[in-house]
Amino acid sequence: MSGDGGMGGDGGMGGNGAMSGGVLEELMRGSLDHCVKCTICETQCPVSNVTPLFPGPKYAGPQAERYRVSGEPSVDSSVDYCSGCGICSMSCPQGVKIAEINSQARNRLKQQKGFPLRDRIITRPTWLGRAGTPVAPLANLTIDFKPFRIFGEKVLGVHRNAAAPEFAGRRFSTWAKKHPSPPTGKKIVYFHNCGTEYYEPWEGEKVMQILEHNGFEVVVPKQDCCGLPLQSSGLFDDARKVVLRLARALVPYVRDDPDTLIVGNATSCTLMLKREAREILSLEDDPDLKLVSERTYDICELLLELHDRGELKTDFNPVNEHIFYHAPCQQQGHWIGKPALELFALIPGLEVTEGNARCCGIAGTYGLKAEKYDIAMAVGADLFGQVKTSGASEVACDSETCRWQITHATGHKSVHPIDYLHRAYGL
Amino acid sequence: MATLSTDVLVIGGGATGAGVAWDAALRGYDVVLVDRADLAEGTSGRFHGLIHSGGRYAVKDPDAAKECIHENRIIKRIAADCIEDVGGFFVTTPWDDPAYADRFIQGCRDTDVDCEEIDAAQALREEPLLNPDVSRVFRVPDANIDVWKTVWSMARGIQARGGRVLPYHAVVAIHRSGDQVTGARLRGAGTGEEIDVEARVTVNASGAWAGQVADMAGIEGVRVLPGRGIMIAMNHRLVNTCVNRCQMPTDGDIIVPIRTVCVIGTTDEHTEDPDDHTVYESEVDKMLDDGEKLVPGFRQARAMRVWTGVRPLFEDAKASDTETRDVTRAHALLDHAERDGVQGFVTITGGKLTTFRLMAEDTMTAVSKHLGDERPCTTATEPLPGSEAGEHYHLGERLSRKEARLADDQLICECELVPRWKLEEAVQRRATTNLDDIRRLLRLGMGPCQGGFCIYRATGILHGLDGLTAEQADESLLHFLQERWKGVWPILYGDQLRQARLDDWIFQGVLDVEHLPAAIPASQAEATAS
Amino acid sequence: MRGELHYDAVVIGAGTAGLVAGARLAEGGARVCVLAKGVGSTHLAPATIDVLGYAPERVTSPSAAVEELVAARPDHPYARLGFDAIAEAVRWFSERVAAGPLPEYRYVGDVERNILLPTAVGVLRPSALVPETMAAGDAASRERVCIVGTRSLRDFHPALCAANLRRAGVDARSVDIEIDVDRADQNSLGLARRFDDPAWRAAFAGRLALKLQAHESVGLPAMLGLRDPHGAWSDVQHRLGRAVFEIPTLPPSVPGMRLYEILRSTLRRAGGRFVLGAEVVSCDRDGSRVVSVATRSAGHDAHYAAPWFVLASGGFGSGAIELDSRWATHDRILGLPLRGAPEPGAPRFVSDYLAEQPMARVGVAVDGELRAEGAENVMVAGAALPGAVPWREGSGEGIALASGSHAAQLVLARSGAPAGAAA
Repeated sequence: MSGDGGMGGDGGMGGNGAMSGGVLEELMRGSLDHCVKCTICETQCPVSNVTPLFPGPKYAGPQAERYRVSGEPSVDSSVDYCSGCGICSMSCPQGVKIAEINSQARNRLKQQKGFPLRDRIITRPTWLGRAGTPVAPLANLTIDFKPFRIFGEKVLGVHRNAAAPEFAGRRFSTWAKKHPSPPTGKKIVYFHNCGTEYYEPWEGEKVMQILEHNGFEVVVPKQDCCGLPLQSSGLFDDARKVVLRLARALVPYVRDDPDTLIVGNATSCTLMLKREAREILSLEDDPDLKLVSERTYDICELLLELHDRGELKTDFNPVNEHIFYHAPCQQQGHWIGKPALELFALIPGLEVTEGNARCCGIAGTYGLKAEKYDIAMAVGADLFGQVKTSGASEVACDSETCRWQITHATGHKSVHPIDYLHRAYGL
Repeated sequence: MATLSTDVLVIGGGATGAGVAWDAALRGYDVVLVDRADLAEGTSGRFHGLIHSGGRYAVKDPDAAKECIHENRIIKRIAADCIEDVGGFFVTTPWDDPAYADRFIQGCRDTDVDCEEIDAAQALREEPLLNPDVSRVFRVPDANIDVWKTVWSMARGIQARGGRVLPYHAVVAIHRSGDQVTGARLRGAGTGEEIDVEARVTVNASGAWAGQVADMAGIEGVRVLPGRGIMIAMNHRLVNTCVNRCQMPTDGDIIVPIRTVCVIGTTDEHTEDPDDHTVYESEVDKMLDDGEKLVPGFRQARAMRVWTGVRPLFEDAKASDTETRDVTRAHALLDHAERDGVQGFVTITGGKLTTFRLMAEDTMTAVSKHLGDERPCTTATEPLPGSEAGEHYHLGERLSRKEARLADDQLICECELVPRWKLEEAVQRRATTNLDDIRRLLRLGMGPCQGGFCIYRATGILHGLDGLTAEQADESLLHFLQERWKGVWPILYGDQLRQARLDDWIFQGVLDVEHLPAAIPASQAEATAS
Repeated sequence: MRGELHYDAVVIGAGTAGLVAGARLAEGGARVCVLAKGVGSTHLAPATIDVLGYAPERVTSPSAAVEELVAARPDHPYARLGFDAIAEAVRWFSERVAAGPLPEYRYVGDVERNILLPTAVGVLRPSALVPETMAAGDAASRERVCIVGTRSLRDFHPALCAANLRRAGVDARSVDIEIDVDRADQNSLGLARRFDDPAWRAAFAGRLALKLQAHESVGLPAMLGLRDPHGAWSDVQHRLGRAVFEIPTLPPSVPGMRLYEILRSTLRRAGGRFVLGAEVVSCDRDGSRVVSVATRSAGHDAHYAAPWFVLASGGFGSGAIELDSRWATHDRILGLPLRGAPEPGAPRFVSDYLAEQPMARVGVAVDGELRAEGAENVMVAGAALPGAVPWREGSGEGIALASGSHAAQLVLARSGAPAGAAA
């Protein structure tokens, strides 16, 4: 007998005729009707093109989904090799929600097969961050300590060579509390994400300075993880709790003023808030998340829009560098093109090589896993090759996990695009 | 000309005919089973695949309901491998008389049909796309059945016991010697070769064509009214449970999930000709509207294929032609010795798929008497070949088989997960390169892309395998395209039209099949079909 | 308005027509943004430039045949465009291929004479311009050919191809060769990547050479490299010591993917913007002008405003034009009036699959300049146009190149100084 819609109980928010989780899941599953088997998604998938362990987006998504019955056992473990990069959904000319279907299938698979301990740990950057920050120097040593890494691989399943970032030893939020923005009346909410908080607080400082330079009063609410790593590993119930907690934390700042926006510098995490949580976790009906998703902007997206209106300060000094720009999959997944490139064009002296590789391979936490590391490195090989032959000195990239992967594989320094604006502004 | 001698000749290779031949073989008789086309190509192969719980008849026709539930339980055991135990709901929609529901429960109780009322909210949790305004829901033991697998399992069992199965052999004459039917003459479809079959008893199990066959035996008044109805397969399972309207049986009141699709049916139009496969736009509109009632948003979902089936409705006395649904759906066994004074000939017609085994048993009981040595029936307990383990089919089977050999199996039809080795094996085993037969057997080309990718692949493989000439391969490809189009264009809208356009680009743009040397025009292609 | 960006021109659709329109607009100095719901039809088509193949008999000379066609069908896009415009667009295209990111790759042929190339099922199909990697398959060469395939590639069947070619009078035979692959479900793209590797090519050519006879050219499925097709093709030719040609087959089309790369690169190099995943879901109008379009981006819709739009969104195949379940047709993108749909109640399809279907020529209604009726600042290009049946008559790329170019030229001519934010 078919079970409870495969969602683990009533996934909807209840009351007021809200749609059940099962109906919302059908929104993704139902999009399989648009599939005409054209193979375009297969041509774009960075994973299936390098390994036969993943049968490809067309197969794992709209094709296999016709064979899946909610409540019946999952039979295709190969869907777990999908990295969740979302390039398939973006490339599909018919609007099939391929990556989203894969994600939901992975969730059901994991619910049945169980979640490895590793997947419960590496998907919680907040825990790791809070644990590692106070003891950063020691923690960073162990991350680079080979025997520890080998032990970690055997026990936890995190590949010994995977690009693990270093703890900054301080938290961005602490700095933000000490450096409130001057009041200008033009408020903006900053969603800084775990990467900025525990690993790259200086990026957060730059974001705030750029916004302040352009007349914003930046508000930094108490906030936590967006839940994306949990979702990517198939832990949907936990991911829902985490993302809704974040939505509740941010929504009071935007509820009363229709012009207040939320801006973030981590394109994967802003994408989670904008779209992925609602679609993949079937949270379309949550009113707080809906409002937050409508107001959330990526920092480059925001700056470009300001520029279009003539509101962006363009007092840029020359930056005489040749850089390589890689747009992460989950930046492209915002479906707004690559605003960073348009911003770079405003900076005198800045020469930019636009990469045309698909994916760096890390896909959040995918490339950390022992069984997926080699696949991730094969996926990224094209990008790494392009970086090395470009002659560029640095690599601009909007997502911190991608930056770490690129540096790990090529040795090149990698920074967020706004770093160049910050430099050009002379802040 | 060749002559075969047998105890029982069964004319008609649908579920009933195959069931009769299987019953005969199990009783130890020698049997020959014939069909003018492939097995299960008549009514059996053209309906939605529902094994009734009997709930549908619980109010209107309690005897039929009792038969159904009794057979339902048997078939789930003996044909386990062909059955997916999806279960069923009867739902009261805003368009249904709420009072009927109480009559329904009572009717089920009276006829031993298992029926449990469940909370509408529970039903919606199990079937999220069900109309949220259903007021009452009853759970019943409906199931779906793979008819081809069932019929071919019986055929294998018949052959294993020495019986002969002859598809593509039409009956061109029935031999009568005075008032004794002694057998029939067959003509092979491909070769035109004729075979005489001498049989002690001939069983007319040709369903909607039973009247035509009886005529050949010189027996009049076997009136079978063909009740034509359409069914539409939707591209994916909108529901995983059979959903029935809780009301008196009418058009478009069932959605059946079967394999990767769900099927809505059916309509009921009287027709003179059991080979009439016209689909009317008004019928399509009606089915889509009926689908909307059970699953709001049905019209936005993708309709994949439409086909017609003809119910054999037996009528012994004069009755009005037009409203066929009310003519009995019970089966009719005509022992022509008693009825017409003709020995050695028995007709079985009417009925529904769910009771095929019972129809076959009744038939063989009568035949057994005629043969003067009554042997017991064991079909209620003997599993069909392949169903010995008693395990039901699960939809994920093909997916799981491919998963086990992920990098090793080359898929030819990706929609239906048909690997190359299966195609090659089917060709060897069945000695056919008719793509239509293979399609039915393997479901090749029956998925959403309707052969857009797999037909060229399959044609290329077949051409390589069997010494087929290029002419034959091309003809088979063009014939397939034409046949497929018949089942697509009447429901071509929305997503399926996008698919059709892509398929046009592939066949006419990339491959340019229209300009294959001496491409056969459609009219000729249809004449050579079956 | 929030979420809005301004351009001089916005192109909707990234198939051949859209990319050509976008590239030529950018080359003409316009700030242009190309919005793509997904990757376009390039990946599905053989990537030959078909101007006119059948009218309905096989066409030898497109220029003469186009003239006859437009006399018989004044509503055909070619009637509004004219043969000279087709020729100019094809010239532009040839130049961009040669100047494009794939080293030394070029198209050969000319619009005055069709070449006859084999299809994967062995039919000889006419095209005007073809990739150099296919040209040696021209049936007019009267060469003996050996069609080569591999069991690993389920999408190509050399024996059937060769057998049908023989029936068409070509001296053809077939050969199967073993290729080591990492998976059974291999497609042309996977093999094309291998052909980009010189060492792999050398090994392949070595094995194939053993099976070839004297004086026969070699026909392979279209998999001769993605990044460096010229290099792959000329290397294999050189190693085999004979003419080699590719045969387009089932999607994914490797030559199509090369075409996409070339056109996208041309757009980018001219300064055009390209947004993938941007499905247009609504538009803002002001009387008979479209002011902006909204795309479903993550979170909130993104709006693109411009004085000019090019609708190159495709026909039924892309879902841009829809026939719904109540048998009504719509333009789903801008809600524009359509032309060519049968009257309500009239047959939409006929039962003979290979006959021309009544729904075949539906498109967005346009005036003599290919501007949409009902929206004076919207140009229509490519498969969105009514009046043609490109997959039957072999005119897809001809229409796409010519109408995409025409749209760009008209917009550039009518535009004043570029609007929008200062650079």
